[in-house]
Amino acid sequence: MSHVINFSVKHLLPVTKCYLRGNFVSSFCKYSSASNSTSNSGNVLDNLTDWETLSKKKKISKAMKAYLERAQEHDEFMKKQQQEFAIGKRHLANMMGEDPETFTQKDVDRAIEYLFPSGIYDPAARPLMKPPEELFPARKAAEFDEAGRPHHLLFYTGKPNFFKLLYDAADNIKQLQNFEDRVIRKKATPDPNGALSLEGSVWLTKEQLEQVLVEKILDLEYDNFKVVMERLVSLPYSYRCKDFIEKYRNTLASQKFALEIPKPSYDDDGRAFITTYECLRKKARGDVTIRSPGSGKITINGKDITYFEDVQSREQVLFPLIFTGMQDRVDVECNIEGGGPSGQAGAIRWGIAWGLRSFVEKEMLEKMQIAGLLTRDHRRRERKKPGQPGARKKPTWKKR
Amino acid sequence: MNTLRILPKYCCKKTQRFCRLPVSQNRFYARPTSFPDFFQNPVFRKEDQAKLVETTDLSKLAAVPVKPPAVYETCSAYHDPLVNKVINHVMEMGKKQLARSLVEKAFENIKRIQIERYHLASTAEEKNKIELNPKKVLHLAIENSKPLLQLSPIKRGGITYQVPGPITEKRSLFLAIKWLLEATNEKERTIHFPEQFAWELLDAANNTGKVVKKKQDLHRQCEANRAYAHYRWQ
Amino acid sequence: MLSRNWRHLCRRYSQAVTFRTTEASPAQQNEKQIGLFYTMNQETCKQLFSQGGFPKSFQKQTKTFTETAIMIRQPALDLINCIKSSDFNKPAIRYVLYGEKGTGKSLTMAHLLHYAHEDGYLIVHVPWVSEWLRRLPRSKEMSNSQTHEGCVDLPLDAASWLLHFKGQNQHILKTGELKVSKEYVWSKREKTEAGAPLAQLVEHGISRVKYACDVVDALIKEIKTLSHNKQCKTFVAIDGFNSFFYPVTRLSTPTKKKVKPEEVTLTTTFMELTKNDWTNAVILLSADQLAVPDDHQESHFPRYLLYKKGFEHLDPFVPVEVGRYSEKEFLSCASYYRDRLWLRGPPEIDTELKFTSACNPYRFMEQCAPL
Repeated sequence: MSHVINFSVKHLLPVTKCYLRGNFVSSFCKYSSASNSTSNSGNVLDNLTDWETLSKKKKISKAMKAYLERAQEHDEFMKKQQQEFAIGKRHLANMMGEDPETFTQKDVDRAIEYLFPSGIYDPAARPLMKPPEELFPARKAAEFDEAGRPHHLLFYTGKPNFFKLLYDAADNIKQLQNFEDRVIRKKATPDPNGALSLEGSVWLTKEQLEQVLVEKILDLEYDNFKVVMERLVSLPYSYRCKDFIEKYRNTLASQKFALEIPKPSYDDDGRAFITTYECLRKKARGDVTIRSPGSGKITINGKDITYFEDVQSREQVLFPLIFTGMQDRVDVECNIEGGGPSGQAGAIRWGIAWGLRSFVEKEMLEKMQIAGLLTRDHRRRERKKPGQPGARKKPTWKKR
Repeated sequence: MNTLRILPKYCCKKTQRFCRLPVSQNRFYARPTSFPDFFQNPVFRKEDQAKLVETTDLSKLAAVPVKPPAVYETCSAYHDPLVNKVINHVMEMGKKQLARSLVEKAFENIKRIQIERYHLASTAEEKNKIELNPKKVLHLAIENSKPLLQLSPIKRGGITYQVPGPITEKRSLFLAIKWLLEATNEKERTIHFPEQFAWELLDAANNTGKVVKKKQDLHRQCEANRAYAHYRWQ
Repeated sequence: MLSRNWRHLCRRYSQAVTFRTTEASPAQQNEKQIGLFYTMNQETCKQLFSQGGFPKSFQKQTKTFTETAIMIRQPALDLINCIKSSDFNKPAIRYVLYGEKGTGKSLTMAHLLHYAHEDGYLIVHVPWVSEWLRRLPRSKEMSNSQTHEGCVDLPLDAASWLLHFKGQNQHILKTGELKVSKEYVWSKREKTEAGAPLAQLVEHGISRVKYACDVVDALIKEIKTLSHNKQCKTFVAIDGFNSFFYPVTRLSTPTKKKVKPEEVTLTTTFMELTKNDWTNAVILLSADQLAVPDDHQESHFPRYLLYKKGFEHLDPFVPVEVGRYSEKEFLSCASYYRDRLWLRGPPEIDTELKFTSACNPYRFMEQCAPL
């Protein structure tokens, strides 16, 4: 009922609108309930005299008060932290003997690592000094004003940013469909060059999306989000909403690196050769040199391919050569140490494939990439956890 | 909406390592790996690559990250995914070399037996019927011992019925290999595993022997329990 | 996709590569036939190799391929030429075959035995020394030697070797030209007179196992004198000779004491045989890594395998290396396996196999097995 009054008053008294709005809180209904029974515009107008407006207590609910206090505290805290960080950065720069003005975050990290060397395994547990925006999780600013009226359209869904995102996507879909209809009516065809290419990117992960939206999302909701975005992308004119879509895609820049072709150098005999250092796989470390006009000789640590006793390792070493058909055309020399037979074989395989990039055509390079020969195998042995016999193995399950 | 102030991103240090993903995201891949979701499975066999070349554009596929092939997979012609699977099932305690040598010796035995039969066979027709390639013998044996239905225990009203139902391709393959290995392990002490395995494979390829009998028994049971099939939906 | 080399390879296959030769007599084989296979007569095989001589894996192969075919390789031809051109009035030359595991030393020896057999040599062949010194069935029969103090006898082994000797040299022993020079007294009632044919001595050893080792000893001495006196030419072939020089054998006396090779009578006998103080003979030995336990298999060179004692004993000798397959030999072997239905599959497999087996003959055979 009070809302009805509020609305009518607002309508009648545009001058006092902004002032009155501040007073219109949910608990205000108690205040106006007395005047409800005899509500007519005249009474209301009578109620609003100057003394009322002067002596009216601003009734803000406890929750609102607490929230505002907290928000203020947080802001002050953040300000203080930022000041401290800036000062600390200057001190650090002075300590390291560098110019405080041009001291970047990377320099800060390096300095901390130097001054506080730590042998702790987990990087998150080591000493760090980062700007407070990074360290303290982002909080949403005031979601509703003093009157308690929420700023966001979809505040009462509980996850306004997320649902707004879905709403935007749905809106875009509708717009694109309308556009498509218009184009068909004009009997035109879509521009094939404008098609959206999403090869080198993936949708944001759930964690990343949570960070962007500053809200927690359920798995189901995340799947839903992906479905909606896929639908948007599948429309023929999706390139018109390119910006919107790009915001929620992660580019995988590292892949292009594998398809770049490095230039080989020439040694004394005039043969082209290329050396790949840092061939890693599990604990094996080594380097591989490929010389181009060759006869298929393979030398590992000075020995022939008989360095590997078992057939599987030998097959792995030969895999990239046979795949590209270069087994008779190149010579391979490797030095490798550490790890076991299959770790070493895997390292050499990657090294050979990486080196062969310079001696092979582009099409074959793409084929190698699809075959996965150029991917660095980053898997390491998983550690054993306390309370368990192994990395994954659990002690015998007892029903009770 | 414009009053929403989003503070800068909080960079999580952990996502730089390829951490373990929850199980729900691994469901699309044949083998669970520690690579993230968007890595594609590698295609390295010549025939598979040839098929890909016909259907799709290579440069698009090459832009996506791909997992590296496993340690026991090569692109050579004598690499067979089914043989690898059997070797994995034979393997115990991670002893891959031993498992591989056992399976290879079994193939050798099959070959010797078949070549002997080939030389003993008189007519050209008989000679053509004898399968000399041990891998083909393995394929045939597994084909012949794959069950088409399986019995699942369903409890209704206190009684557990064995209800026949469909079986997935993977499970059927798994059961075939498991039965073959079980039959081989019921061997005499003096006979070695490769020889016994060779005999089992040859029998199964000929539709005789313990494993095929087991499969046929299962089928007969399913046929007998046809009446309970509706319990699956009750 | 196929490179130029591969296309040549495939073309070569389509032109029906010859891998066989009809020249079955080792004496007539020449350099042009390197890399080709020749088939051995079944009866000769039985006569020469019924009790050993071929490696076990090769015996299985002969059964599967239903024939015995040996590849003609460079080391064997070199040896045959050396033997043909050597002067038999000078002391016996010792040849030592060496090479990595599985490169074909035993088969080269077999090839030469065939040549010796054809040429009418008296063959003294020990198929595998480690059989005596390192192979231990449940109960190894050993007895203390009566003639040599503190030494150990291996009666059953000696008897089986005498049988092997008899089988290999049937045609020579039957003629009865070779006679014993001295009189040997075995016990109160048994003795072999001087002038008796060698066959009788051998028979005695086979029937009276108790004296087999002594019979072997006597036989060897007789053969040395006969050769020296130009009554017969001898071909000595011992496979795994370095086993005699390894510090310890697997045998142990009933008192649990480990026996050294020098304490076995057979060792002394064959050491006598391999000395170069007699003429009109050819001595062919092989130093193999497989004859010693795995810990001491670091290198395949004779200097390492024969130890100091063996090296000094055999010095001077002619080392002959038996290496891996060359390109041509490899192709020939691959086509032979295809012909015998041992290897099936597309021709590209051959290049892969060449690298994976590193052209080692034994490894190649092993890897073709499951294909």
